[in-house]
Amino acid sequence: MRLARRRAFGIGGGFIAALSLPILTARGEGPVEISMQGRADGSHVWFDPIGVHVRRGQTIRWTNLDPGNAHTATAYHPANLDHPRRIPLAAPAWSSDYLLPNGAFSTTLTEPGVYDFFCIPHEHAGMVGRIVVVEPESEGWLGTAGADQGVPEAALRAFPPVEEIMQRGVVRPA
Amino acid sequence: MNKMLSFAATMLFAGSLPALAHDPAAAIATSPPAAPYQQVSGLVPLPDFLPGLGQLFVDPATLPAGPFLAYDHDGKLVSTIYMIPVADLNPDKSFDNLMAPGGNVDHVDVYYNAGHPGVEVPHAHVVLWHVDAAGEARVAQ
Repeated sequence: MRLARRRAFGIGGGFIAALSLPILTARGEGPVEISMQGRADGSHVWFDPIGVHVRRGQTIRWTNLDPGNAHTATAYHPANLDHPRRIPLAAPAWSSDYLLPNGAFSTTLTEPGVYDFFCIPHEHAGMVGRIVVVEPESEGWLGTAGADQGVPEAALRAFPPVEEIMQRGVVRPA
Repeated sequence: MNKMLSFAATMLFAGSLPALAHDPAAAIATSPPAAPYQQVSGLVPLPDFLPGLGQLFVDPATLPAGPFLAYDHDGKLVSTIYMIPVADLNPDKSFDNLMAPGGNVDHVDVYYNAGHPGVEVPHAHVVLWHVDAAGEARVAQ
């Protein structure tokens, strides 16, 4: 099933990307904004949006809007606390480090593919997000052995499907 | 006889007195508390004042459970907080003899927290309030 899915993305990826062009090219020149939020008692924490579909070379900016907590935007990569790689092979790892309230971090994504990221203190609570740059890699990390290794169950459940991100352009938390 | 009756009555009365409420230990009644307590925002990346809790101090050696001591903007102790990881609530783990220096407890809140620097896993906040429910407003913002 996983291999078939990867091949399907490879064959249909160009078609899907073409359908998505109006969403990608409609974006302005400014960064795509993702906020970090939480309830006052810390019981719920989240990224908003949790899924975005962007063009190649798009800058993403995460801002901590939670007045009572610190958050990070950290790519799934072995360089980040020995996490599995869940970003394109050619993409460099990134991490915001801890952002206090109103702190922000930006990075520019130049490699096409799927980028999964998490918040270090809240990964076990499912605070994760996903960015699709143009379309998934034809032979990317999606569905490969090891990509899920060590990822908390709450995080795995929280990632929005790639198909949904590409269809809607922006996926917000429930 | 009267003296004996009076003595007996005094002893009987003393034995039935309820336990008197007690103040917090002098060393921690106001901020900053004495060592080994340290300000949490100096140990991990968190704001100096946490809305809903206050300014927190902890003895790092007691992490994750604490106790954490929480103070209002005037430096007065308002609560004692224990932080218990959810994963540690299992048959093989217990938290024994946690210090409780804060004195009289008016009421208690227990609630889930998704995690934060210092306790980076889901955990329960057990909050022993040393002020009444209306007094919680002193650390709301």
